[in-house]
Amino acid sequence: MYKPRAMRRTLIIGSKHDLEKTIEILHRLDIAHIIDYPADGEEGLQRGTPISSASEMSRQLVTLRASSKMLDIGPSEPAFLEKLADSQVTRDLRSQIQDIELSVFRLTEERKLLEEEQYTLSENIELLRPFTHLDLPLEEYAGYDSIAVFTGLLPDARQLKVKLPAVTDEYEFFYAPESQAAALFIVKPHAEEAKKLLLENGFTDVALPKGAGLPSMLVETWEKDNARLQEHIEGKGRDLAEYRTRHKEFILASEEYLSIQVQKAEAPVRFATTAHSFIIDCWVPEAMYPQVKDMLDKELHGVLDVEEYPVAKGEEPPTLLDNPKPINRFEFLLKLYSTPGYHDIDPTFVLSLIFPLFFGLMVGDLGYGLALILVGILFMKKFKDSEALPDIGMYIIIAGVFSAIFGLFLFGDMFGLPFAAVPGEQYSWSGLLHVAIPIASPIHKMEGIGLSQLLVISIIAGTLHLGLGLILGFISERKHSLRHAFSKIGLIFVLTALAILIFVMADWTIGQWLKPLHGTALEPFLWGFLIPLVKAGIPFGSLVIPYVTIGLGLAGVGIILSSMGGFGLVEVLEVTGHLISYTRLAAICVAKGAMAFAFNLIGLGMILSGNIVIGIIGVVLIVLMQLIVFALGSLSSGIQAVRLHYVEFFMKFFKGDGKPFTPFGYERKYTTKTLE
Amino acid sequence: MVADAGLIALGAGIAIGAAAIATAWAQKTIGAAAVGAAAENDKMFGRGLVYMVLPETIVLFGLVIAFMLIQKI
Repeated sequence: MYKPRAMRRTLIIGSKHDLEKTIEILHRLDIAHIIDYPADGEEGLQRGTPISSASEMSRQLVTLRASSKMLDIGPSEPAFLEKLADSQVTRDLRSQIQDIELSVFRLTEERKLLEEEQYTLSENIELLRPFTHLDLPLEEYAGYDSIAVFTGLLPDARQLKVKLPAVTDEYEFFYAPESQAAALFIVKPHAEEAKKLLLENGFTDVALPKGAGLPSMLVETWEKDNARLQEHIEGKGRDLAEYRTRHKEFILASEEYLSIQVQKAEAPVRFATTAHSFIIDCWVPEAMYPQVKDMLDKELHGVLDVEEYPVAKGEEPPTLLDNPKPINRFEFLLKLYSTPGYHDIDPTFVLSLIFPLFFGLMVGDLGYGLALILVGILFMKKFKDSEALPDIGMYIIIAGVFSAIFGLFLFGDMFGLPFAAVPGEQYSWSGLLHVAIPIASPIHKMEGIGLSQLLVISIIAGTLHLGLGLILGFISERKHSLRHAFSKIGLIFVLTALAILIFVMADWTIGQWLKPLHGTALEPFLWGFLIPLVKAGIPFGSLVIPYVTIGLGLAGVGIILSSMGGFGLVEVLEVTGHLISYTRLAAICVAKGAMAFAFNLIGLGMILSGNIVIGIIGVVLIVLMQLIVFALGSLSSGIQAVRLHYVEFFMKFFKGDGKPFTPFGYERKYTTKTLE
Repeated sequence: MVADAGLIALGAGIAIGAAAIATAWAQKTIGAAAVGAAAENDKMFGRGLVYMVLPETIVLFGLVIAFMLIQKI
């Protein structure tokens, strides 16, 4: 659970005669991560060549993929409830694919042509439409030898009408002010001058489409044509949709079947071969190694040589995380950051415990917690076929549970309103419902004291979390470099020193929490020894720097300097920054609480105003505003809880440079293997 | 002490306000780059998120100082 699964480097050596069968068995086992044989390998060994059927199947696969793209059948299609057997797919696969290719390509091509035709027609209609007001037949706009024709749009014709007669009187000008359509027929020698005049008046040229007849009638006919084309296009679309429904199942299944066949047929390219033999180099999880060996021995009657290969120093096996059922859901959150290296510690378990805890503390509200649980359940139901989204749904549910617990026991509030009346706050659930709800709020987010308490809680959480990170860092560094490992110990000293300094500064808050311990067996130890020891120190302004802090700090810095040199001091600063970074737990918690408080004040004020209209507006407003608080609060809490792990926690021990374990096999969604 | 209280409150406001502006400024640049990187390669999303949220610590320094100032009122 704390380490990725142990791997064994395995060599499978055999005669080429048994290659296909070996591939078949490995593919079925779905447990060997094949190491690709490099192109420039050892002398006498070459990469293998694909099995002969590969090229034909690849071609079919390409055709199928093109068809499914045209039919908009994507990889996100849900898995079949009842999967097709391979034998059902292979039955006249070739002719089926040919049929699909022909039909889909034909329908798509026809639709494309129709769409192009429609596009040209619509363009022509738009060009001609302004000229419907001029009432000149279309054929009269062209075909002159001595006359130049200008057609286009003119915003204003007044200036032109004044100036044109000064140029010549051999012209004819038509203008429709309602559509700005203008047509000027002028003798060619004056064409240039006329053009200049037109352009000065903001004329834009329009090249009229070809045709004969009055534009108004033409537009009418073309619009009818256009509608007919539209019908045709929709018809083709319906044909395609119908084809899609009828053949979707087969296309998905055969695509999967062919992908698997091609994957197997092309596998030899990844192996080393000689003229008559092959060598498969792969990683197999240690626990599965005997099973793989037995299966290969049994099915091929011991003709293969399966042996373990010693792992070279510095070699990184692929990472296969090893977490039990509910925890492995959090692997997604870890992989979002990066895959842990084979020698890394797997932090999934810690992540699964602390992420919801931090999230819950930041949201800290019974109402939002229950709402989160609901959203999480909906998420899981709605996206149950997706790869990662159900995991996210589960994080939301767990986070919601913790939010509700913190809301009920620590903050005693629901939707930003405390259950019991709090001095200084106008509204509470008890006050609103006129029932005394016996749920206390040990910490009030909206009071100065509450913020102090939350800040101290944040620092405690940070100290523990960072401390754990540093301990894990020590454990994982210990094998590589003792110097680095010792610097982590130094950092733990510095971290403790800082935490004690902050606790002494927050003397009053801590004192309040320790109060219940008065009169217990711990009292003499605490007040007689520990507290005076921690509090004793050098006054510095209004602060007291405890001797313990000075001692631990100096010891820590000393260890770091001796193990890492001056450069290590950067890490001291980093740890200080990281510790303060945890105050975001308090900051988000209070910020969200304050937002809800303010919105409640506005909304409830309106609802309780006594005016019905204002009351209704108040209800709508408060629902909207609560939704905003809920969405923003959960989003930022989620991101911040993740961030505290990614940045502050992981940086202490996690390298995350692993390559994921990808076994040679295929996860079938639409087909099942036929037993031969 | 009333005049002092006002000045302290102003100081606290400036502390958190300026820190917030600094954070926003830093995030602006990083955010644009991170979205670009994620658009090119999905796997960069996680890393991009980490870089994106790094400057948020700056505003928290502001918050802590503001809080320590406010407590003096």
